[in-house]
Amino acid sequence: MATEVLWWIFAVLITGAGAGVVFSRSVLHSAIFLIGTMAGIGAMYIFLTVEFLALVQFLIYGGAVTVLILLALMLTRADPSGRPEKVNGAQMPFALLVGGGLLAALVGVAVGTSWPGNNDDEPTNIDITAVSDRLFADFGAPFILISALLLVALVGAIILARQEEGE
Amino acid sequence: MMLFADPLFGLPSWIDAIIRVLIVVLAMTLVVVYLTYGERKVVARFQQRLGPTRTGPGGLLQGFADALKLVTKEDIRPANADRWVFELAPYATFIPVFLVLVALPFAENWGVRNLALGLFYVFAILGLNIVGILMAGLGSGNKYALLGGVRAAAQMISYEIPLVVSLLCVVMITGAEDGMNGVGTLNLNLIAALQEDRPYIVLQPLAFLIFFTAMLSELHRAPFDIPVAESEIVGGYFVEYSGIRWSMFQLSEYASMWGFSVFGSVVFLGGWAWPFGVDAHWTIQLGTTLVKSLAFIIAIFWVRTTVPRLRIDQLMNFSWKVLLELSFLQLIVNGFILYYEWPQELLALTSAIGAGLLIFLIIRHATTRSTSGLVGTYKTLGTASQ
Repeated sequence: MATEVLWWIFAVLITGAGAGVVFSRSVLHSAIFLIGTMAGIGAMYIFLTVEFLALVQFLIYGGAVTVLILLALMLTRADPSGRPEKVNGAQMPFALLVGGGLLAALVGVAVGTSWPGNNDDEPTNIDITAVSDRLFADFGAPFILISALLLVALVGAIILARQEEGE
Repeated sequence: MMLFADPLFGLPSWIDAIIRVLIVVLAMTLVVVYLTYGERKVVARFQQRLGPTRTGPGGLLQGFADALKLVTKEDIRPANADRWVFELAPYATFIPVFLVLVALPFAENWGVRNLALGLFYVFAILGLNIVGILMAGLGSGNKYALLGGVRAAAQMISYEIPLVVSLLCVVMITGAEDGMNGVGTLNLNLIAALQEDRPYIVLQPLAFLIFFTAMLSELHRAPFDIPVAESEIVGGYFVEYSGIRWSMFQLSEYASMWGFSVFGSVVFLGGWAWPFGVDAHWTIQLGTTLVKSLAFIIAIFWVRTTVPRLRIDQLMNFSWKVLLELSFLQLIVNGFILYYEWPQELLALTSAIGAGLLIFLIIRHATTRSTSGLVGTYKTLGTASQ
């Protein structure tokens, strides 16, 4: 019961922060609202008793991705004081289309799929050793391939950045 | 899976949680007040001064006098600051630090919560600390604050990688202990208990050195206090703050120093379990943890008074070209030794050789001036060239 109340409170908070990301007049405020959304989703994972996923959410989306967005804002924008600015350009209708389409697809999949472990309305806790078995034993080869792909992308990005600097 | 300790006095678990959080908050406030006093006294001792002597016997009330002064000071907000970003930044900096203290075991079952993923939790939550610092840097409407924020973010992101990898080395070893069946643990209480016979600093001196260096950098302590360098950017990201909001930054700095010290002493120095064993009385366990974290803190002050501040390029070079490689080397060597089940003495030996290599690189760089050629490039890595 208490978990359900908390769940709804966080649902409202996440939706509010998400609306803040879209409707805020300054890119900086949008980025900070995004952190709120990501952290709220992490808290949702805790209510669903998947702590590992929650911590990954905090580490990657809360701590790394949004920090990179903020860092990029710091390095590129001349005016750091967060005054209102024009954020919606000519791409607005297309963005609306993509956003609406994504929402429809996600809702459709979430409602239309019968999820395993959803029989008794109790969230199933997944042990971290089970996660690591799947990741490093069952799907070991794809894991290594993905890490190689990321390494190549990283080196490629560095080469591109260095070339611009040299010319 | 969340492991709950038995609630105090059989209370419902949420009331028990509130009581434990209150105790931790009070202890943290007291520790922070006396850390500021202790830092002044220790630094004064290193510089052949006396430090605070006037307030109370031996200056013991200095911290409270400072706190009182800060609370009564005017809270100024610059006219071109971004109002809500500026005002919420101190809280965004402090909340992650406080959340970390919730997971730390001060003695057996003496923590707010004993999390199964405690170690992962600590560094996942600490990553959120950067957000508050960036908010302060961006929201102040001040070029120096912006520079401090950029420096802090770059530095903390860079040093987080060696920090996490050095912690992973310890987690790998926990799997090789008796009764663990090759499965390591992230539970801080269990990690401390596994070190009953010997602390992991004996097995992993290189990982400990990397952890300590990266910790100094994450805490913005000298010689890595580049984001808050007074002589370069007049105090960094909190230059525009005053009064109570400034003291929130100070509080989170000292609280995270204490949190990191307890965390480091649990992971590397045996926490509450070594050398008195897991069956010792809780007062002895609590005292052991506090003494170990105090040793950590004194070492931080000691480094601060001994080593001059690095330049930003030296800092980045040291992280990406020395610490990262050595931490990965430690991880791979550990993997080989643990996979083939070679004796644990080999772990200690290889790690000690690595630690010797790290110290050798630092000393060699500190004593040479040449910066030309391939060898010179490697000589310019490391600390203390000034």
